[in-house]
Amino acid sequence: MDFAIVDSPEQAAFRQEVSQWLKENVPAGIEHSVDPKDMSYEQYQLRRELGWRLGKKGWLYPSMPRQYGGGDLGADQMVVLYDEISKLGWSLPPYYDAGGRMATPTILVHGSEEHKNRFLPPICRGEVRTWQLLTEPGAGSDLAGIKMTAIRDGDHYVVNGTKVYVGSSHGADYSWTIVVTDPKGPRHKNLSWLMIPMDLPGISVTPLDLLATGGEGGSGSGVKNSVFFDNVRVPAENLVGGENNGWKVATTHLEAEHGGMGRLADRRVIYDFIAYCKERRDGVAIVDDPAARVELVELYIESEITRLFALRNHWLSTSGKPRSYEGSQYSLRRKLSGLEISEKMLRIAGPRVLTTDDKCGMLKGMVEYFVRDAITALHPGATTDIQRVIMARRMGVGRAEKEQAGALR
Amino acid sequence: MDLSLDETQQQIQDSTRDFVRGACSRDTLVKFDKDPAGIASGLWPQIAKMGWMGMALPEEYGGTGNSLTDVALLFEELGAGPVPGPHFSSGVLCARLLLEAGSDAQKKKWLPQIASGERVFALAATEGHYGWAPEYVRLMAAKEGAGYKLSGSKAFVHDAMYATDLLVLVRTDEGVTLVRVDARAGGVKIRTLEGFVQSLAEVTLDKVMVGPDDVVGKLGAAWDAMHRTMLQTVPILCAYKVGGCKSVFEMSLQYTKDRLQFGQPIGKFQRVQDHVIHIVNYMDAARWTTYEALYKLDSKQEAASSVHMAKSVASEGYMRATDYGHEVHAGIGVSREYGLTLHTKMSRSLYACLGAPKDHRRMMERSLGLVS
Repeated sequence: MDFAIVDSPEQAAFRQEVSQWLKENVPAGIEHSVDPKDMSYEQYQLRRELGWRLGKKGWLYPSMPRQYGGGDLGADQMVVLYDEISKLGWSLPPYYDAGGRMATPTILVHGSEEHKNRFLPPICRGEVRTWQLLTEPGAGSDLAGIKMTAIRDGDHYVVNGTKVYVGSSHGADYSWTIVVTDPKGPRHKNLSWLMIPMDLPGISVTPLDLLATGGEGGSGSGVKNSVFFDNVRVPAENLVGGENNGWKVATTHLEAEHGGMGRLADRRVIYDFIAYCKERRDGVAIVDDPAARVELVELYIESEITRLFALRNHWLSTSGKPRSYEGSQYSLRRKLSGLEISEKMLRIAGPRVLTTDDKCGMLKGMVEYFVRDAITALHPGATTDIQRVIMARRMGVGRAEKEQAGALR
Repeated sequence: MDLSLDETQQQIQDSTRDFVRGACSRDTLVKFDKDPAGIASGLWPQIAKMGWMGMALPEEYGGTGNSLTDVALLFEELGAGPVPGPHFSSGVLCARLLLEAGSDAQKKKWLPQIASGERVFALAATEGHYGWAPEYVRLMAAKEGAGYKLSGSKAFVHDAMYATDLLVLVRTDEGVTLVRVDARAGGVKIRTLEGFVQSLAEVTLDKVMVGPDDVVGKLGAAWDAMHRTMLQTVPILCAYKVGGCKSVFEMSLQYTKDRLQFGQPIGKFQRVQDHVIHIVNYMDAARWTTYEALYKLDSKQEAASSVHMAKSVASEGYMRATDYGHEVHAGIGVSREYGLTLHTKMSRSLYACLGAPKDHRRMMERSLGLVS
């Protein structure tokens, strides 16, 4: 067993290349906002610019095949690339692109050659940004119970309905959307996926006022929105994976979303928090209190177990090993341990974790955002309850057959 | 990064699994639970001849020089039984403590016999006022000629009832010192503790003489050796607990399919599913913290924090996994015939062995730099 993220000579050379490239290509003036909601349009544009440069290099979607605009990087190189990117405080892509992250593996598995050639390169090169549209006012955990319809009319589907908790600030070019294509069809056999251009007439976007954006959406999501579709005519060739075959297609999408890929980026705020507690101010430090030390060690253990689950999943998905319940187990753990850690922070450091105030708060509001975000993060990409349901099915609790994990590339 | 097992490790896992399925079926282990005498007479001779007791020892002392991860994978499978006996006490803990602290002559004399299973060592470290730190070693050794005379008691000694030899931590003028005592010598009394406990004993020493050849390592320096040995061996004990969790998981999962209530398998109920999810979460947390600690040790990296974390997580995890196993099983789970209670008892008996979770978490305060 080798846990090392120790570089082989090839990896060391690649790391050198990546770090040099980032030095030369990260646009000047790019900054991180503690709360992604505060990201300005100018900052967003700088991130898109970085994404575009990464895309040209094949590093925006590094695991995707080169012919579709990816980098064809193997696991060894991916680890290095993600590591270098996360050192600068970003994930890949460096802007919210959840639709792209979920659609690319899905289209690769379920799309036609024409779909792959048309949709994948612009996403992988960073030329377009894509939201994912799943949840509706009446359908959250019960995704198959969505109501938004897409009715075939000649060469088009006519789309009507509402999606909620969608996307980010500053708009999108495409929406990767699950719709009902057969309103009279049986459950699970009436759904399809559409890639909807966001500039079509009849689409309107209204921001929601939420506690935080939460969890698993990728970096810099900013606000979440409601998206209304009023007789939107979508070209029929934008339907991916076969009409009424959407539930099967969704298994790949959801596997990616439910943590099957694993994440390697550390939660820097946790390490910064521990360092803060050790710092001596006016002769005193938080760690002088034995009870605070007890909580700090528990906080660290919580975070380490989550890190190890992510590492395991990353290894499983990049080495092509069979997976079962691990994706949802990680997602469940990430959500619950995030909440637990945020509450330990409150126990340890008191109300200074609750304010963004420069003088009375801590770590420039990073902890305040973490504490708020940990609560919101409980639901995106499936609630903790749904993650448990998936785990139970995958393990075969109470059933002879184990449900299979969705295919990932 | 590659978290898969190598070929040797795969073989160790397979052959141990076969052994446990054959010689340590649940029925057999339930029998030993009722009649522990069978462990020494029936089970131990089979284990001793497997060559396992030398795995944690270098070749020059009759061992096979395996990595700690190799040894841990063996113990993971033994833990799945859970197979009782002195395999950890003798083949890992005392073997490595002697390797750490013993003179060359002592190692040459005792280690090959540990490796072959001819001798069985147990470590008498703790006392009635229980704890795994130097201040808990209070049994005084009185200087007597060139050696020492021991009178007093060591308590909660794992596997002493199987031992031919005891390594005893005592207090001399210089501090904590390690001595070897013949377990069958006059004045040595080993009393198995009864109750919800697996293979624990009180060892009373009544004017037991220890010659200079039986003083192991420098006078007063035993706790340093003990601490280094603990860091190396704790993850192997953790692996045993991981194996226990795995077994509890498999039993519980099967039971959710087999047991029908309200006309359906109980695993159809989400409340029941949650119990199984708790078990698998505890199991995997114990597994990956343990494996990472082993990896750090085998690759000679700073491992203290990882080892302490693994012990804290695995001790809590094994105990909690059995708790949730009982929630799944209800009545049948507490029937001694069924076998789940073997794990329940083992998880409690090993909970504090080599330091309770609270102790290891306190040691983490140091390794994380929270105290200077």
